[in-house]
Amino acid sequence: MALTRVELEQFTAFTSLKLDPCRGINVLIGANGTGKTHLMKVCYAACDVSRSPADDFARKLVGVFMPSGLSLGRLVRQQAGADGEATIRVRRGALKLEASFGSRRKPVSLNPSTFTDDDPDREMEEWASKPVECAYVPVKEMLSNGPGFRSLYSKREVHFEEVYSDILDRAYLPTLRGPMDSPREQLAAKLQTEIGGEVAVENEEFFLRGEGKNIEFSLLSEGVRKLALLWLLIRNGAMPPGSVLFWDEPETNLNPKLFGVLMEVFLELQRNGVQVFLATHDYVVLKELDLRARETDQVAFHALYREDETGEIACATSNSYRDVHPNAIADTFTDLYDREIARSLEAVE
Amino acid sequence: MTLSEGNLKMDIPDVLSGGKFDGADHGLTHHMKAVDFVVELADRYLYIEVKDPEHPRAAVQARNAFIEKLHSGRLDQDLKYKYRDSFLYEWAAGRADKPVHYLVLIALDALDDAQLANRTHALEQQLPLRGPQGPDRRPWVRPIVRFCGVFNIASWNRNFPEHPVRRVATSAREG
Repeated sequence: MALTRVELEQFTAFTSLKLDPCRGINVLIGANGTGKTHLMKVCYAACDVSRSPADDFARKLVGVFMPSGLSLGRLVRQQAGADGEATIRVRRGALKLEASFGSRRKPVSLNPSTFTDDDPDREMEEWASKPVECAYVPVKEMLSNGPGFRSLYSKREVHFEEVYSDILDRAYLPTLRGPMDSPREQLAAKLQTEIGGEVAVENEEFFLRGEGKNIEFSLLSEGVRKLALLWLLIRNGAMPPGSVLFWDEPETNLNPKLFGVLMEVFLELQRNGVQVFLATHDYVVLKELDLRARETDQVAFHALYREDETGEIACATSNSYRDVHPNAIADTFTDLYDREIARSLEAVE
Repeated sequence: MTLSEGNLKMDIPDVLSGGKFDGADHGLTHHMKAVDFVVELADRYLYIEVKDPEHPRAAVQARNAFIEKLHSGRLDQDLKYKYRDSFLYEWAAGRADKPVHYLVLIALDALDDAQLANRTHALEQQLPLRGPQGPDRRPWVRPIVRFCGVFNIASWNRNFPEHPVRRVATSAREG
């Protein structure tokens, strides 16, 4: 079931923020420091704990954010000389997951089995009664670091946000038994054409195989590795209908020519009932999505920005790229265009 | 002077001569392509070409055909030949005696500034703005075109507040 509302109060960069995601593709745009990644991580943590009943929301938050000293309290919005309390509410229809904690909240263990919540509640049980599959693709590509990383991560306290080990866990899932359903098969085929083969795993190492080639991931471009990761997630059933995919800056290390394919895959996943969250700084990503989306597709653009007077982060949602306001990316192009025209005219005068 | 193309009106002050260029007075439109307007200012000529795919009476089919033309690069070709022929016509008439600014207005809101910047770049590729470059080449005494740019209504008015363009309501008779 898709996420329907996220409310954050006094959490990290946010004073008070309410976001109503659509069931389809949710694009988060905004300048650096407006909390796009934080918002996605909160949503991801909420989804992920629904599928691991032994886990806990607070522990998962610490795992994905990695605050200093693993102190949950450090995720409370910091204000000079004042103790605060953060509240997070995430809803999936009638189901609600809520967490409140103060800035003096003690550190937590990252081991789920030893974590004891101060105030366990029934909400969590209900939340976990309808688990939601999810995957979070971080900015940095991880597949080439796969061999040995998971075992190292599970045995040692390595300072890596949990999203990195989580995405590897998803990538290593074996292929589902039986034939793939037609939409997934078409998507996988589309990606396969772009990456030039299939992905195989051998001793935890990823290889691209096709047309007589067998290339280890460390020798592939990062862009191809990203598309290959999506191929794996589709092939191994990590993205079934009703699941949620989070992708932070899909444009990173990818040539803009491939953005169209990627957006087409996201749109197709959305048509198959997958809720998607993207955080992007890229005009081409937005424009590809805008131009490729059909009228029946559900795409929402959430512009995060700082209010002029208070400096606090706010969110404006629109269903069409043309209505996105404020739009820091478009403003930058306007500025470039106007300066180019002015320079050309100055050279003439 | 107010220039009109469909229901777009452009107010250009201090015009010395010129106006509608591709009308009946041209006399050679069967031989030569022509921009919509040529106006003479004190220090320059403005060659203005207006494309109005969002005209309220423009048929959806015509609008789509225009967008296809825009994306296929045929529009850039069209704009190039219109400029060249107009320049040649004016040169033959003894009027190519000041720098020429070629302004293309595409009244299509969907063209955002990133796309307009690219369209301007594409047009610059079609028109020799600077003449031959390099030490062994003889530079031009005067360029064929001094400036060219592609605008929509908003970016036109932002960059040329001194000669704004506006869309006037279509009258009942027209509509």
